[in-house]
Amino acid sequence: MNSLSLLPHQQSERPLDLPYRTFLDLLRAKAELAPARDFLIFPESGRTYTYEAFHALAVATADWLNAHIVPGGTISILFRNAPEFLAIFFGAVSHGLTVVPINPDLAAPEIRFIVENSNSTAVFYDPDLSAKLKTLETEMIPGVIFIPVSDVDDLPKVDVKAVEARLPRVDPTMPASIIYTSGTTGFPKGVVLSHMNFLVDGKGMADWFQFTPETRSLCILPLFHNNGLVVSLTTTLSAGGSVVMVDPKASLRSFWTLVERYHATFTSVMPSILAAILAFGFEGKPGYLKGIICGGQLLPLSLAEKFEARFGVPIFEGFGSTEATSYSSFNPVQVNKRKLGSVGLVMPISDMKVVDDQDVEVPDGVEGELCIRGGNVAIGYHNLPGLQALRFRGGWYHSGDFGLRDKDGFYYFRGRKDDLIVKGGEKIYPAEIENVLSQHPNISESAAIGVDDPILGQEICAFVNLKDNGASSEAQLLSYCGKSLARFKQPKRIVIINRLDDMPELPKGPTKKILHRELRDYYERRLANSEDPEGLKWVLGSQGAG
Amino acid sequence: MTDQELYAAISPMAEQVLQIERFDNTVTMMSTPSWDSLTHIQLLCGVERQFGIEIDGDDAFRLTSAEKLVKYLQSKINQ
Repeated sequence: MNSLSLLPHQQSERPLDLPYRTFLDLLRAKAELAPARDFLIFPESGRTYTYEAFHALAVATADWLNAHIVPGGTISILFRNAPEFLAIFFGAVSHGLTVVPINPDLAAPEIRFIVENSNSTAVFYDPDLSAKLKTLETEMIPGVIFIPVSDVDDLPKVDVKAVEARLPRVDPTMPASIIYTSGTTGFPKGVVLSHMNFLVDGKGMADWFQFTPETRSLCILPLFHNNGLVVSLTTTLSAGGSVVMVDPKASLRSFWTLVERYHATFTSVMPSILAAILAFGFEGKPGYLKGIICGGQLLPLSLAEKFEARFGVPIFEGFGSTEATSYSSFNPVQVNKRKLGSVGLVMPISDMKVVDDQDVEVPDGVEGELCIRGGNVAIGYHNLPGLQALRFRGGWYHSGDFGLRDKDGFYYFRGRKDDLIVKGGEKIYPAEIENVLSQHPNISESAAIGVDDPILGQEICAFVNLKDNGASSEAQLLSYCGKSLARFKQPKRIVIINRLDDMPELPKGPTKKILHRELRDYYERRLANSEDPEGLKWVLGSQGAG
Repeated sequence: MTDQELYAAISPMAEQVLQIERFDNTVTMMSTPSWDSLTHIQLLCGVERQFGIEIDGDDAFRLTSAEKLVKYLQSKINQ
């Protein structure tokens, strides 16, 4: 594999460990090794796929896609954690297509942006979304076809070897997927990931956590995010283990039941999930659970300690980003070698360093920007050459995350350089919300900030300045947001500053840029305690708070 | 109780929790963005209170549509 043409930021001091070239190569190898072993288990529908069965399904799907899509193109998919998502993902990447997984909960305009921006020529979706996608289907740019898929098991069976022989040759450095994440401008940016990125990161984590064919992962995070697709799926596939797939929205209350019933040995979560399990007082036995992989947002030390003390399951915190496929560092799997509060040591698949504003590496203990390079680092951003040059420069991916390394090589995440809001693991730039608010006819200016939330880590509060103070209420403005923003991006609270006694206008710097930090300080000082989390109290009333 | 009676009984609470106008047999978790992990817990807690039942973890993750919830309630009530 040394002959691969790697980008500068994909070249590490460590040797590239890539035993399989593509997703299909990896799946085929595992299917040949243990055809009858369970690979995917879907408890809700009762469907289970052995390695052999899923390999055959992926190849049959690739053959079916061949009738619809020309190799080399891009498709979008909107499914929950269902066989349809995975069959189409594996079938498409085996067919040389690039797959764009889209969060089905996004508002129609947000879905449209991603479909158009990614140059998708087809959208495969769960028929439950027909009503939402109907308007897009009629308004969409010509050439995009919409295909509902209700049951991939209905696809005709194929001669697997014969179809595989017809499939185009896929290079490991070819794009496999474009994952959209929030962007500073308010428009999501597409991160282009190759087969190599997924396979290197997946194997790196499988080796780190000593996954084996006996490993059983419980996937309760959505597959349209890399945490589900990589940490739960690709990592377990690398080891030839099995994955229990559950709808993330329905899994929280059943967390311990699923762990126990399906003998899960590992699972991957956001800190907000641990907080919710504790807050709702969900009790259960860890059973075979050896560890919980955790990241995506700041994990408060007190939360980790409380969870471990209550359930006796070690939490392995790590650091990563979509641009590095998923994780690049983790705490050691040897429980007593972890450092709680740290995001761990860099995995052997990557190099990491901390740099100052001049890109000079800083000594241990000094805070700076965390940078990554290696085979798990993305090709780059889709059609964003300016941002590409800014973030992938000098042979390193500059994460925009700040932290430090201690003398033992452990990294610590301290926060973001920008105003990124991380709500329940979902990353949202204020501009996404501000762009929508600015289109309201009665809003002259607005600013959105992240504020502390006991479960989600952060919630969203928006400050608005009205042209006509009496013409809009908070409720009306919240309802307005609901039309253009996905629910998880909608502010929980909108503050009309015309009605505040002590802040007549949004705080601004010398260049008239709104100072989000000052708004956060104001919120903490004046508004934080006035908030009433009715939703949480309503639930806790019957469950008892932990 | 018939399915219609069950829908009538659940709807006010479900519509309030999910912030939707109508809770009927077309409503699914997939098609309803406001039906998220936290409102799922609220919804099931509301049903438990209303009907004096306990929904265990083996069932909770399967109740991903209005239809499945009503069907489940029928089976619990008729036990």
